[in-house]
Amino acid sequence: MGLDEDDFVFHGTPIEREDEIASRKKKAVAGASGTLKTLPAWKQEVTDEEGRRRFHGAFTGGYSAGYYNTVGSKEGWAPQSFTSSRKNRAGARQQSISDFLDEDEKAEMEGQSLAASSQFDTFGFTAAEHSRKQAEKEQHERPSAIPGPVHDELIAPAPESIGVKLLLKMGWRRGHSIKDVRASSDARREARKAFLAFSADENTKESSDSLVLETEAETSLGPQFSEDIKFSETTPVYVLNPKLDLHGLGYDPFKHAPEFRENKRSRLSASKEAGYRKPLSMKESLFGPKSGKMAPGFGIGALEELDVEDEDVYAGYDFDQTYVIEDEQPARPSNDNRLRLTSKEHNVLPGFGAASNSDYSVERFDPPKIPKDFVARHKFSGPRETETKPTASTPPDVPPPEDKNLKLLIDGFATFVSRCGKLYEDLSREKNESNQLFDFLRGGSGHDYYARRLWEEQQKRSGQSNLQLDVKVPPSVQKMTAETRGSLLGERPLQKSLKETETSSSSGGSFQFPTNLSDTFTKSASSQEAADAIKPFKEDLAKQERFEQFLKEKYKGGLRSSDSNRFNIVSESARAQERLDFEAAAEAIEKGKAYKEVRRATERPIDFLAGGLQFTSGGTEQIKDTGVVDMKTSKTYPKREEFQWRPAPLLCKRFDLPDPFMGKPAAAPRARNKMDSLLFLPDTVKAASGSGARQVSDLQEPEKEPEVEVEVENVERPVDLYKAIFSDDSEDDEEQQPMNGKIQDGQEKKNEAAATTLNRLIAGDFLESLGKELGFEVPSDAPYPEGTKPMEAENKAKGKPDASSERRPGLKEKPEEKTSSLKPVSEEEKSTQKREKSPRNWSGGNDLYSSESSGDERRRKRSKKDRHRNYDSESDSSSDYHKRDKHSSRSRRKQRESSREKRSGHKKHSKHYKTKDSSSSRYSGDEERKESKREKRRRRD
Amino acid sequence: MSATTELPTKEANLLKGHEGAVLAARFNGDGNYALTCGKDRTIRLWNPHRGILIKTYKSHGREVRDVHVTSDNAKFCSCGGDRQVYYWDVSTGRVIRKFRGHDGEVNAVKFNDSSAVVVSAGFDRSLRVWDCRSHSVEPVQVFAPFLRFTIIDTFLDTVMSVVLTKTEIIGGSVDGTVRTFDIRMGREMSDNLGQPVNCISISNDGNCVLAGCLDSTLRLLDRTTGELLQVYKGHISKSFKTDCCLTNSDAHVIGGSEDGMVYFWDLVDAKVVSKFRAHDLVVTSVSYHPKEDCMLTSSVDGTVRVWKK
Repeated sequence: MGLDEDDFVFHGTPIEREDEIASRKKKAVAGASGTLKTLPAWKQEVTDEEGRRRFHGAFTGGYSAGYYNTVGSKEGWAPQSFTSSRKNRAGARQQSISDFLDEDEKAEMEGQSLAASSQFDTFGFTAAEHSRKQAEKEQHERPSAIPGPVHDELIAPAPESIGVKLLLKMGWRRGHSIKDVRASSDARREARKAFLAFSADENTKESSDSLVLETEAETSLGPQFSEDIKFSETTPVYVLNPKLDLHGLGYDPFKHAPEFRENKRSRLSASKEAGYRKPLSMKESLFGPKSGKMAPGFGIGALEELDVEDEDVYAGYDFDQTYVIEDEQPARPSNDNRLRLTSKEHNVLPGFGAASNSDYSVERFDPPKIPKDFVARHKFSGPRETETKPTASTPPDVPPPEDKNLKLLIDGFATFVSRCGKLYEDLSREKNESNQLFDFLRGGSGHDYYARRLWEEQQKRSGQSNLQLDVKVPPSVQKMTAETRGSLLGERPLQKSLKETETSSSSGGSFQFPTNLSDTFTKSASSQEAADAIKPFKEDLAKQERFEQFLKEKYKGGLRSSDSNRFNIVSESARAQERLDFEAAAEAIEKGKAYKEVRRATERPIDFLAGGLQFTSGGTEQIKDTGVVDMKTSKTYPKREEFQWRPAPLLCKRFDLPDPFMGKPAAAPRARNKMDSLLFLPDTVKAASGSGARQVSDLQEPEKEPEVEVEVENVERPVDLYKAIFSDDSEDDEEQQPMNGKIQDGQEKKNEAAATTLNRLIAGDFLESLGKELGFEVPSDAPYPEGTKPMEAENKAKGKPDASSERRPGLKEKPEEKTSSLKPVSEEEKSTQKREKSPRNWSGGNDLYSSESSGDERRRKRSKKDRHRNYDSESDSSSDYHKRDKHSSRSRRKQRESSREKRSGHKKHSKHYKTKDSSSSRYSGDEERKESKREKRRRRD
Repeated sequence: MSATTELPTKEANLLKGHEGAVLAARFNGDGNYALTCGKDRTIRLWNPHRGILIKTYKSHGREVRDVHVTSDNAKFCSCGGDRQVYYWDVSTGRVIRKFRGHDGEVNAVKFNDSSAVVVSAGFDRSLRVWDCRSHSVEPVQVFAPFLRFTIIDTFLDTVMSVVLTKTEIIGGSVDGTVRTFDIRMGREMSDNLGQPVNCISISNDGNCVLAGCLDSTLRLLDRTTGELLQVYKGHISKSFKTDCCLTNSDAHVIGGSEDGMVYFWDLVDAKVVSKFRAHDLVVTSVSYHPKEDCMLTSSVDGTVRVWKK
């Protein structure tokens, strides 16, 4: 029976029988004595290290699940004993946390929590007693005006007790509870009682007895009081930063973006002040000066760099609706709680009312008065003498001198000086020390007239400039741009092009002097610079100097100084000739500049002048011609040009059009521009996008007429090589195996060997073709000049079957034979050193290799052409040259096995290429890959 | 003034939603829907006649500069500052493929008639043609060079705009040329206008090309001869990309101006027939309904307006 019971779980209450009860008892005795070995599941208990029952609590505070995870025992929770009788009433028992704690936890709590017993409670009797005594004493001392219970004694000052001080020192803060609610509320209640007792004391004139009474009365008020106290405990004393948003507690939206916090604050404060939102300006704070150009609201990723293209071209317009929107924000934060205190409600604090008049008043100071005639502009003393010059001393009106020329000169000079300042007068006086014409500057004849004229001009000018300034000083709220600032400071914007300056200077009339002296300096410097950069007469220094002088004068439009002709050129005719030269050169330079301006947008600086072209009296015309042509064409826009353009076959397919160039050889890529082909600018072209290397080579050819169909065959990429590299060659093998029946012994072995050879060849082949593509010399099969190539190709294309039939036996021949036949071609291109090392073998290996590969290449070309013509023939032809590939590789392999030296030479060869163009190889390698892949795709299509 | 009454000068709807500048607004093939794109990197599909935003397409990493829908409304392509051309599915909003290869920003994209090909015009002085048909279902092609099969790089400067006909690709470039690449003939015709070409648009009869130049002039060219037929002036177009187009009847020429105005010229005598303030800021794009008298304008101020008569 007992055994059966072990295996089952019984529910419900079984009808007990006598013998069963007996057996259970027996069992229980046995369990207690530890004799029972295996207990049923529900009887087994899990205990913790202390030996208490512990069940499946996942955490330390895990719930002690009991009987089959339901209750503590089979019987359920044991109810607490509760007894209440008439004599001994059981009070309403309040639960506390201690009811739910284990003993050891209670002990832990005891250690940490600080509970002042009522004995030592400073809030309680002692403090109250003390204050009461104090008050009593004071009452005796001074007579109170109000009879009866004195008010100020009711409000006895509670001293900062030592307990509070201690607590504060220990880290307790006001508003926080010290221990659990009940205990402290008790203490508070006691204190209350004391106070009440004290207040009652006066009325009843009974000190101690009444206190007891009061205490009893207070107990009835207990709950209410305790609640009050609780409230006071949990409410913090100061609410410094009231939580006004709807974020979760402790959530800081600006945690990782503190810049925005500042923004928000400023916005809030602004909205408080003005009542409206201001657009965010993140310009200064967030990204530094760069971000000013960025469009608001659209940042770029952290990993990307701010680039030119990220500039906001539409900057300058402000988007007023762009905010960083925080939708968590409540409609209007009720921070007016505090405002209400001061403004609206007077009875917020019970017992307090707002004073009708406050003693505290802010003393206000009025801003200083601005004099009515004050103009908010600083007047500069210095270069602008016209403004500062005292106009008091008006020179007398003097009749002009008789000499008309002198009069003109004086008039002109006076205008000039009035514009440029006194400095210029001094300068020119110095300069023209000996010149009779300028006597009037030194008090000679006409000086009075000059003085008068100068004054008049100055008057005129100052009036003008005043007017100007009046116009220019705007409502002054406008944003100051660089230009306005510049104009305020009297700077001149840099001239866009020399052409413009010329026209402006020429249009100004007879005397167009630069308005400021400093200006003249800067400008002459710039023209000087231009002249320095362009030295067309390098070979003749003196002439160059004269030319520069000429330029200076030309661009300045200034007075021709008397010593401009100090270079004494022998004859008049020579001088005239030189002048013509100068003019031509200047014009050419100018045109070049203008052209450059135009071309700047295209990012191809054309400084053909700096590029070393020299001007001679004859050579200038050439340049002039091109310039003139260019100018002329600009007048006849729109201009139509027509070129041949070859669309890709696939493009035609996609547009559902027949390929106009079907089967025709590729046309020569035409020179991009007349200018480009004229001026050899390999470096700029290289910078151009697309396939750089090829263009360079094309451009370096003499200019071709675009209309003429020049048949130039580009160096084709060896398609099959790439196919071998990039496509899985399993299918190829399958194709080829039956064909190579002769040679095959063990197929796997052969395949493996073929693969390895192929791999080896690939490297060499690849490098070679790479070299070819970059225009390097490939030893045997010289990259014949492109003009002759098409002929050859054409011939071969025509006689294709013959060629291939020739080829096939050739391949089966021994390599040595080929070497001898091809040797002379490559002989001269080899470095002698290498030949010395292993003369015969090396050259032989190399020759064979290169010739073969080039042969391969040619064949491929041919077959490619075939493909263009006839798509059907593609498959068999390709398989054809696969086979051939195999052959050649095999033969090569044999050869390699026979001599190691060949291999080493071979290697050297390839290395040689690698080092030669390590810089560009990567790029073109990529390009080739792309190309090959494209090729592959095309084939698939 | 019967001419002005037949022009769409009354604002019918205001499409608001883009943050920041709207760079292009385009009708779809039948004119029932419109696609807009802008600085906020999104493309939005609207019903412009009811003023409803239907869908927002987000995937671009930088601003989106142009968008074009296929004739069957199933796909569209877009391009922009992230140097890629995106090929989208309209209904799902997924990017089917990204065409990578441009070395600079891409200014304009267009499908060809059969939607088999996307042609893009880029800052890298090239027009590139991308194949939409190959590799049918793969979502995003990683090796974009596979797809690039034609590069037209005879331009000397940024290509700003591209237009396709059945047999030709026409590109307008800052180098001042409008180049027509005739696939059937295998010819390239280069019409040098001497001024940077901002936008090109083809007349509905296919005989003329309208080229907006940066000297505040629109030029109408005869396509067969390259002859300059007419010059339209009055608006401002100096530094921003502003669009121009012809009305669907080819009676008027429309041009957006940098001061927010829209101009209507008579095609033949080049008179300003009508002008009105469409936006506060630069008008970036104008698009004309293929059948009705309805026009879309987009602006830097972030709005797109629908105009009807």
